[in-house]
Amino acid sequence: MAAASGFRTVEPVEYYRRFLKENCRPDGRDLGEFRTTTINIGSITTADGSALVKLGNTTVVCGIKAEFAAPLADSSNKGYIVPNVDLPPLCSSRFRPGPPGEEAQAASQFVADVIENSQVVMKEDLCIVDGKIAWVLYCDIICLDYDGNLLDACMCAFLAALRNVQLPAVTINEETGLAEVNLKEKIPLTIRKEPVATSFILFDTVMIVDPTAEEEDLATGMLTIVTDEEGKLCSVHKPGGSALTGAKLQDCISRATARYKEVKKLIDKVIKSVKPT
Amino acid sequence: MRKRYGEARGWIGAMETEQKKCDSGDLPSLRRIVCEQGLLSRPDGSASWMQGDTSVLAGVYGPSEVKVSKEIYDKATLEVMLRPKVGLPGVYERSREQMIKKTCEAVVLGTLHPRSSITIVLQVITDAGSLLASCLNAACMGLMDAGLPMGSLFCGVTCALDADGNFTLDPTAKQEKEAQTVLTFAIDSIEKKVLMSSMKGTCSVEQLQQCVAASQRAADTIFQFYRDSACRKYSKW
Amino acid sequence: MLARAVMADGGACEAQKRIGRVVMPGEALLLPGHAEADGERLRLAANGPQKGRLVCGPGLRRGGEGLLVTKCGLLRYRGPGSGSGGVYWVDSQQRRYVPVKGDHVIGIVTAKAGDIFKVDVGGSEQASLSYLAFEGATKRNRPNVQVGDLIYGQFIIANKDMEPEMVCIDSSGRANGMGVIGQDGFLFKVSLGLIRKLLAPDCEIIQDLGQLYPFELVLGMNGRIWVKAKTIQQTLIVANVLEACEHMTAEQRKQVVAKVLEN
Repeated sequence: MAAASGFRTVEPVEYYRRFLKENCRPDGRDLGEFRTTTINIGSITTADGSALVKLGNTTVVCGIKAEFAAPLADSSNKGYIVPNVDLPPLCSSRFRPGPPGEEAQAASQFVADVIENSQVVMKEDLCIVDGKIAWVLYCDIICLDYDGNLLDACMCAFLAALRNVQLPAVTINEETGLAEVNLKEKIPLTIRKEPVATSFILFDTVMIVDPTAEEEDLATGMLTIVTDEEGKLCSVHKPGGSALTGAKLQDCISRATARYKEVKKLIDKVIKSVKPT
Repeated sequence: MRKRYGEARGWIGAMETEQKKCDSGDLPSLRRIVCEQGLLSRPDGSASWMQGDTSVLAGVYGPSEVKVSKEIYDKATLEVMLRPKVGLPGVYERSREQMIKKTCEAVVLGTLHPRSSITIVLQVITDAGSLLASCLNAACMGLMDAGLPMGSLFCGVTCALDADGNFTLDPTAKQEKEAQTVLTFAIDSIEKKVLMSSMKGTCSVEQLQQCVAASQRAADTIFQFYRDSACRKYSKW
Repeated sequence: MLARAVMADGGACEAQKRIGRVVMPGEALLLPGHAEADGERLRLAANGPQKGRLVCGPGLRRGGEGLLVTKCGLLRYRGPGSGSGGVYWVDSQQRRYVPVKGDHVIGIVTAKAGDIFKVDVGGSEQASLSYLAFEGATKRNRPNVQVGDLIYGQFIIANKDMEPEMVCIDSSGRANGMGVIGQDGFLFKVSLGLIRKLLAPDCEIIQDLGQLYPFELVLGMNGRIWVKAKTIQQTLIVANVLEACEHMTAEQRKQVVAKVLEN
């Protein structure tokens, strides 16, 4: 055992390669197997919608806060969704305090791109009074424990939190012209699409699903596929790394559609279990 | 005497640009490409890439001295800086930088220059569609001009799909705006595999595969242009 | 046109057919012996040891059945000489210098640190130069080298994993032209390809320039040239003509030299 851990420290790549030869991974998973996923919703009472997602050790919490804002002049019937991914020093020693680093910025942009691509929430649905007032949804996604596959966890937490959102009814007072919020009457958000992300790492030509932080460091490339319920692709995000053939891409898409069903089932179950109260 | 010499200098200058510049003329399914290598004097390698009206300028430095905090003991530290036409780079630029960086890392043989830095600076001059693809192409031409060791070449191709499922290669800004989906791929020169992929909008799996195949075909045209451009550069050598 | 045909194939091509042509990174070149199925070992056994090993020069790597190109440039070949096999390499126009053992370069002294000088040679790291590595230098008799001086020296250690080290003496302890370069004169940078061209044994450029007037010239493999003529003006003319050689054909250069001669 001591020899094995020494080997792992000295030659991490070779150590990993020996496992891949046997089609398994150091943590005992298959190449196509996800870690246990758990979802907990509504845990933050001060937010309008929230979710905590654990993917193995990776823990991500998403809180959605709705506020009023004036719509833009050129799109007067649209609200806003502002996603932000935060990677505080708490979650891993690789992140330093201060302004968001490269990885956090790339993750924020990825979530924003998926929202834009998939049209998960129609921005028109967020409008309260045309040209006057609209909802702005601040989606803060904070990583509490970083152990790889951040994007999948973020997307999952974002979607679960979005389904948990309950917006109060808003009426406009005719006399004062001000908005009045009725906190007793709450309506859930209309969700048009449910995008689910599936990430892979490339180890030369081998595809491995749901990488841990250690696996990500050793990998030669990454790929994230986002699908919706119709089986359409909302994003095929491959930021460089090892090259991939069209056929391999197809395999990954098949795995992503299978993963979609798993996640969808899980979120539905969690939402249902909370609803009755 | 000085005046005399100035004249000589003038026509030498004109000759230089003529030699460095390579123009593709009309291309099937792509916009016209014009590229000039080695136009900047300070960087170790430079290239200006024009694809239709989209224009990107790349400057490459390296292998040069690296900051101790960024030093990697067994390979070169690669950095990409993407400067927008106006204003300061934001989150969008950061994410594009990361994509270009990882694409270059897959191709550049960084292990041959450990503890050194390779910096690629990309300045957007005009954005008239297919910007990310143009940035990738400019970066590759810049790396080639700097003479950095590479395992293969790469090129960027953008495809736009409209609502009826028709696709356009190398779309203009207007076509991109009207399109339902815009896909950008980086293709390598050896096996025409996909190095990078980025997407805007949604599409079906079949459409994606169709676009990959079309991009791989377009990549041949771009690699041929790379070669023509290099032949031109070395023609008087 | 041939280049076009090869590209269309996409496959590997025999190295010999590509000599003198432009090669691109990622291209695979087949070696004559390797194109056959029996491979290198058999071939060497059949031909005996008189045929030396084939050397894979700058811009090429061994891979697969032959050579892999890693740089853009012209493929060159030097046939087998006495004791050594042939050499393939890629001649490319580059600006950044990467230290190579045995190269003669011009460096600038940037610091004195105890027993060594730090010398900027234009690479990714500064080279070190021992104060004992000068002709006639001893522990007592230190060479007179100041920060900012130009040094013409040779690399004795240069590899990717170590700090490069220079010396200003040859293996027999003689300066052999190396050492500190005099105070005046003019230093400028050109591409590494031009330096190689100028250092070729039968370089016409140097011969043409020699017709103008006498001048001193030091060429460093790191792309630095130092010139000194009788007057500043003459120095600058030589420097400018050398700089312009980068993009001129032999014909055009002769015209320029003739023009300068007229004056």
